[in-house]
Amino acid sequence: MKPSLKKLVALCLAGTSLLALAACGSHDPNNLLRDKEEDTRVVSLYSPMEKTDPDAENVARSASEKTILMAEEQLGVKIEYITYTAEDYQDKTYDDVAIDRIRSHMDDLYLLNPDVILKAGAEGNLADLSGLDCVKNLRDVVKTANTVNGKLVAIPQEVVAYGLFINKDIFDQCQLKLPETPEEFLECCRVLKEKGYETPVGANRWWLETFVLAQAYADLYNGGNTAEEIEALNSGRTKYSDYMRPGFEFLKKMIDLGYIDAKKALVSEAIEGESPDFLAQKTPIVMAYWGAANTDTAYGNPGFNLQVIGFPTERGQMPVVPITGYGVDAQAEHMEDTMAVLDVILSDEALQVYTETNKVISPSKNVKVDCIPALKPLNDRIEEGVFVLGSNAGMKLEQWGNTCLIVRELLNGATVEECMAAFDTLQAETLGE
Amino acid sequence: MKHKPSRVKKRKGIPLFLSIILVFCVLGTVVFAVSKKLSQEMSNSAIQNLSESLDLIQCTIEAILKNEAEFQTMIAQEIGKAEDPVAYIRAYDRNQVMVKLSLVLSGETSGVSNTGEVFSPKDLDFSSGSTVNSLPVSQSYLNDMGTWAYSIKCPVKKAGREIATLYVEYIYDSLDKSLPNGFYDQKAMLYIMDAKTERFVLKPKGMGARSAGHLNLGDFYRANSIREEGLRAELDACLEQGDNILFYHDIREKHSLNYMWAVNGGSIFLVGYVPIEAIQQEGRTVNQNIFIVVTIMMIAFFLCCLLYYLNQRQQSKLRKEREAERELHSKQLAEALRAAQIANNSKTTFLSNMSHDIRTPMNAVLGFTTLLSMDADNPVKVREYTKKITASGQHLLSLINDILDISKIESGKVVLTFEKFTLNNLISSVDAIIQPMAKAKHQTFHVEVSGIQHEYLVGDETRVNQILFNLLSNAVKYTPEGGTIWFRLIGLKQRSSQYEHIRIEVEDTGYGMTPEYLETIFDPFTRAENSTTNKVQGTGLGMAITKNIVELMGGTIEVTSEVDQGSLFRVELEFRIPEDQVDQYFWSSRGISHVLAVASDETLCQSIQTLMRETSVEVDSVHSIQDALALLQEDSTRYHVLLADWALLHPAGLPAAEQLRAALPESIPLLLLADYDADDTEAFLSLPNTSLLFKPFFVSAFKEKITELREHPMGTIDENGADQDSLEGLHFLAAEDNEINAEILSEILEIEGASCEIVENGQLAVERFQASSEGEFDAILMDVQMPVMNGHEATRAIRRLPRSDAAKIPILAMTANAFAEDEKAALDAGMDAHVAKPIDVALLKKVIRHYIERKEGIV
Repeated sequence: MKPSLKKLVALCLAGTSLLALAACGSHDPNNLLRDKEEDTRVVSLYSPMEKTDPDAENVARSASEKTILMAEEQLGVKIEYITYTAEDYQDKTYDDVAIDRIRSHMDDLYLLNPDVILKAGAEGNLADLSGLDCVKNLRDVVKTANTVNGKLVAIPQEVVAYGLFINKDIFDQCQLKLPETPEEFLECCRVLKEKGYETPVGANRWWLETFVLAQAYADLYNGGNTAEEIEALNSGRTKYSDYMRPGFEFLKKMIDLGYIDAKKALVSEAIEGESPDFLAQKTPIVMAYWGAANTDTAYGNPGFNLQVIGFPTERGQMPVVPITGYGVDAQAEHMEDTMAVLDVILSDEALQVYTETNKVISPSKNVKVDCIPALKPLNDRIEEGVFVLGSNAGMKLEQWGNTCLIVRELLNGATVEECMAAFDTLQAETLGE
Repeated sequence: MKHKPSRVKKRKGIPLFLSIILVFCVLGTVVFAVSKKLSQEMSNSAIQNLSESLDLIQCTIEAILKNEAEFQTMIAQEIGKAEDPVAYIRAYDRNQVMVKLSLVLSGETSGVSNTGEVFSPKDLDFSSGSTVNSLPVSQSYLNDMGTWAYSIKCPVKKAGREIATLYVEYIYDSLDKSLPNGFYDQKAMLYIMDAKTERFVLKPKGMGARSAGHLNLGDFYRANSIREEGLRAELDACLEQGDNILFYHDIREKHSLNYMWAVNGGSIFLVGYVPIEAIQQEGRTVNQNIFIVVTIMMIAFFLCCLLYYLNQRQQSKLRKEREAERELHSKQLAEALRAAQIANNSKTTFLSNMSHDIRTPMNAVLGFTTLLSMDADNPVKVREYTKKITASGQHLLSLINDILDISKIESGKVVLTFEKFTLNNLISSVDAIIQPMAKAKHQTFHVEVSGIQHEYLVGDETRVNQILFNLLSNAVKYTPEGGTIWFRLIGLKQRSSQYEHIRIEVEDTGYGMTPEYLETIFDPFTRAENSTTNKVQGTGLGMAITKNIVELMGGTIEVTSEVDQGSLFRVELEFRIPEDQVDQYFWSSRGISHVLAVASDETLCQSIQTLMRETSVEVDSVHSIQDALALLQEDSTRYHVLLADWALLHPAGLPAAEQLRAALPESIPLLLLADYDADDTEAFLSLPNTSLLFKPFFVSAFKEKITELREHPMGTIDENGADQDSLEGLHFLAAEDNEINAEILSEILEIEGASCEIVENGQLAVERFQASSEGEFDAILMDVQMPVMNGHEATRAIRRLPRSDAAKIPILAMTANAFAEDEKAALDAGMDAHVAKPIDVALLKKVIRHYIERKEGIV
């Protein structure tokens, strides 16, 4: 036998003996229960969760998950999800439930829409986040939009920009240019309808407000006189209804001409209602947020040439940017851990991961990634600084939620005048408080 | 026969192999069956365990509901006792379980809540008929806290009369604290579902993945791809009837055990799943352990098999090695035996041949001696007989010399003597011997030299001569009359600048040899035997001696031959080139700087130019007499020697030679390059300052001829010089114990005109010399092996004698001890020379004369 083989055999025998000895030598404790595990520190997070499609990947949720995992690993806390999604239009909305939970101090951390941020912030139920380390990296527009009564009450992981999702293949087939103004848009719809697209614009009960807000505030935000105009609105010297009217009239015309199916829109949830027809290329135009272009649960891989552009205004294509964000319950049970979690998931490092995964606009000045080609037109406008804020805490009258509700009235058959009156009433109530 | 054992071994190996496979199959089946059974049992156990866990959770929730109902009943009783029920309600603070208390007085449609707001019972749906402790439980709803809740209504009675209804709102979140914080290592998923709405109202903390569908049962089915119609129908039935159900279904590609577990009579359900891998963790662990044990056993078994195999292989290898060794030894022994037998046979054959060969000339000697005694009066016959006796004697002598030579070579006693020699001398001496032999058999003998770079070489000339003589004499011997023999000396490409690489070829058109004989031609004691060669006398040792000498010189010898076609021997040797190759001053001192060679043979011209390259002499060559004449007409004094090829000149006739001669000044020698056997040269040689130079061309021969012509102009050489080795008048003392030899010696000396006194041993020789007068003996001829005192001792004794001539008198050893060491011993003893027996008269005369003259101071 070769010496090396002898050594190997000897080694194997020695190893076996060692294992046998180790097995025989284990100590049996008297108490058979395992040592009690240390109490896990928990942070509860209220967030939306769309109905699950097991075959689709939600990159936004994946991106968020990555940052949450970073926080869990770094801080040793466990983040528990409390999720809610309305089953249908008759259910309480996510925002309704959110405001209820905030008022009842049910959770530590909330992912909130702009109107809820402003409402909860105004009620003093959201904690001031301006002391977090991550705040110094934020873009000014984010801080401006979410500062209520001098307190920064929410910080987003992405700057959500809304735009029109265009099936460019259909536009090319119909020899249509991408519309810049409301008139061009109406002309496009006319041609498309003539070409057999019965309802050229797919809509839901949430996002038609973007048309209105774009047309209402295109000049306000891009005319160089923003502060004064907002001040005039807050003081009551000018009326919100004057700003809103063109957009409502535009929507009214769209409804009247059958470019939007108002009845369907009124009972449709976001994405769910309009996406089947859009993906089936029966509807050439829908409106959605930036991230919808990246995720398979929305319009990630549409199978046609997708282009995302701003909403038509007299100033050209106009993205609408409502600032969402994470808010912390002012009476959060686990306040310290919650703040620490926020500091991690909103750090530049986490936002880099989030932004790269989700291909969105980061709220941090320091994080930038390339967008997908479909989003380039929208991105170009934002990079130029041409956009409209969907929500602004500087305006005393909350815009995002209220406009949404009044647009629903329009969809439900109200006249433009009635809608304008509603705005006037709201403005009066707000200024009168 | 050799293959038989391996086949048997193979046949034995197959059943063994199959048996092992069978054992492993059985073992594998048993292990698999045990493993399967364990898995099944573990799975059943896990299902049982899961059922128990779910039962426990169910009981826990039901107990909570019951407690809530009981507590609510108590509160209702308290309210019934209170003076102001509304105030009682308003005073109640919400807690984590009972988040809202509302009271609606009988007959009213709305009431108050502890939160202060107006309470309307129409917002609650009690239509499902679900109850706890007979109290109705509402359908689940999202309350104003934004969380799922349910309400229980309880009548408030006062004095047995129902005065109001108490509504208490409970939130599902309160159940969370009472439920286990995850089970199956938190891999299980658990939801609490409202049966009527199929909404998931609670996901207990720590239970379930974040990405699972959790909105309602439809979302759960969709997220987990539970689409099978049969299964869905069964699930719906269970839901309808409030039954429990456990079923297997893949959840996100993991095989899982799913459940729907009815709580509180089916008003709410526990919904979720547990991955099988989590359920069967113990079973899998046991199976893994079984697998590890089996694997270790298998490894151990295979290790044992491997060790056994290696051991067997080693044993087999050792056995084979021993067998191979034995076989080798046997083979070697057999070969040695065969070699010994062959050697013995060869020696027997050789002895037989020798006996024959010795007896044959011996018979001639004795026979002719008898005839001689009978015909002593007939001088003619006497001469003839003595001639034949001499020939037979010579043959006997060569036979003995060969035997002694091979004996010496084989015993390694041959030492080569390296001396400077010229190829010219070598060829001349060989030619001088072989040419007459060939002529005697009417054979044509060609000597060809080509490509030789250096003529002067260092080597053992005698042994080279012996090689050439052996090969050439064989060629002559084994070539029939009229045949042709070529002797070629070819210069090969030098391997080293210090050595001349020469190939010697001896080719003949003789009898040739069979391939069988070629294999043994160089073996000693063998000799080709057939009807033809038996006519030729030989010892059968010549080629063995030749090969041994060639190898001793570091050369090679090979032979090709075909029967009746002839043979070709090729010998390749290397000779060192002496540093002092040429006497550079020879030519300049004689005023020779230009030589003209006239030859039609280009090879000859090149050979002359090559060999003369190292001299300072310039050689021009032309290929016709006309060209030579033309050159000479231009400048007749340019050339100091003219070399003319006989092959070119002879056909042209004498006039052409005369023309050449006339074109040259008389002082310039004209040398005719001719073969040894060139005829009709006399007329040409009669021309002034013209001589013959034998082919092949060698510088040394050329120099000798130049010297000869300068020192002895034509006709001045004493061709008939007197015999200078005459022993006339000399008187010798000879010590010889053998009477016959003594007589022969005495007779020979007498014939030569000398006298001799014979003594029988060394002692007598010493005494006789001591007694002699000074100058009485000219020399002493001393045998070596003698009785009383041998020749060496006698010589020493003579040399020690206190006489003036004791040291000077030549003492010549005359002995049959003919080896070099014998000669050395003789010289060491004080003798002057060594002459081997049988006596060569000429040699003896020459040696004696030489030493006597030296003694006399002539030399």
